[in-house]
Amino acid sequence: MPSINVQSATFEELALPLLVSLYNQACWLARNRTEAEDIVQETLSKALRAFGSFEPDTNFKAWIFCILRNTFLTSRTGIAASRTVFLEDQAAASEMAAADPSPEEIVIRLDDLAALEAALDELPPPLREVLLLCDVEEMKYKDIAIILGVPIGTVMSRISRARQALRQLLQPQAGKVQ
Amino acid sequence: MNQRTDHLDPEALSTFIDGELPAEAQQAARLHLNGCHSCALQVLSATQLKAATARAGHRFTPTPETLARLSATLHPQPQPKKTARIYSFRAGAWGAFAAAILLVASLLAWRQIRQTDALAAELLDQHLATLASGAIPQVISTDRHTVKPWFQGRLPFSFNLPDTSALPPDSALKGADLTYFEGQPAALLLFTIHKHQVSIFLTQQANSPLLTPLPKTHAGFSLASATTPNLRILAVSDVNPADLNLLLASLVSAQSNN
Repeated sequence: MPSINVQSATFEELALPLLVSLYNQACWLARNRTEAEDIVQETLSKALRAFGSFEPDTNFKAWIFCILRNTFLTSRTGIAASRTVFLEDQAAASEMAAADPSPEEIVIRLDDLAALEAALDELPPPLREVLLLCDVEEMKYKDIAIILGVPIGTVMSRISRARQALRQLLQPQAGKVQ
Repeated sequence: MNQRTDHLDPEALSTFIDGELPAEAQQAARLHLNGCHSCALQVLSATQLKAATARAGHRFTPTPETLARLSATLHPQPQPKKTARIYSFRAGAWGAFAAAILLVASLLAWRQIRQTDALAAELLDQHLATLASGAIPQVISTDRHTVKPWFQGRLPFSFNLPDTSALPPDSALKGADLTYFEGQPAALLLFTIHKHQVSIFLTQQANSPLLTPLPKTHAGFSLASATTPNLRILAVSDVNPADLNLLLASLVSAQSNN
């Protein structure tokens, strides 16, 4: 049927440019390339099947990233990870703020890509996830809120905490976060 | 930040550098930063941290093989044809209705095939022209840092070329030409895969309103296409379709690298 062809062509046009981003995000979530590929494959299959319900004027990237996240959460790794409780707003910003390094200290470590990657590795997953969506995927807070299923205010505070935690980890003699 | 004179708290600072503060608060923050050295330094540091996070966060890149497998998922599996069974329709009315639908579908399909064939034929003509003996590309180079800059000022758009290490095995860039198809300027990139010549056409997607799906083959040649947010990429060669798709995937992947 022509209508099906047109729809699948549109899905391909929208999804193809996002494959690299979806794969990157899946790798960060699953921490395993093989599993990440499986998650992206399943995400694409689900999204293609559900594409009829996608509203054309809404954000496709947020929609498919939401499917990716849900696919991860229902995967074996995702279920295991969900057993680790993240204390949403218990970690007070004051704990982090007290140890803020000077801007000069941060500048020095920002040149060290390996240190940054290690710091991102050490971030608690919910903080890392929100930071990747904001800084790497350049998503707006309202889209991140949709993907994570949390209010915009939570996105805002979580991003702020994530950055403070990252700063702390980038200090020359940084210990583990929390 | 509560008042214009207050320092930016960490959350306000973070929201400010993301451009997510309400307009009035954003303006107040700017005014404060004009006169507060300490907050200005904090904003600079936070902006650098954000940029560094973006760099470090792009850590996992799919291999061309992975990308090709993922791209293949985007094509829906052909649905098994349902056996046409007519039970107790009122034959006359339903027959006429079906005939009308068939006629409309045939006309649409005929138009689609004509557009598709015309595009495929045009691509193949250009590819064959590059194969002709004596056809010398305007720029002959295997170096992407030579080929890409050559198009500056010649095309109303830009594109990235994959690094040699990102190309599929036994694939190489040979040169490039400026060309035209569908009435618009296009970059023609000449590659080889094994000993097969490959022509890759890049055009601006915004100027390709048709986006007609290409047939997989035309006159024995393999055809493939892909789109990125800005580009439409079309490939023609007599190499096997899997190898052609790998090369196409590496070009698509390169467009997301800055």
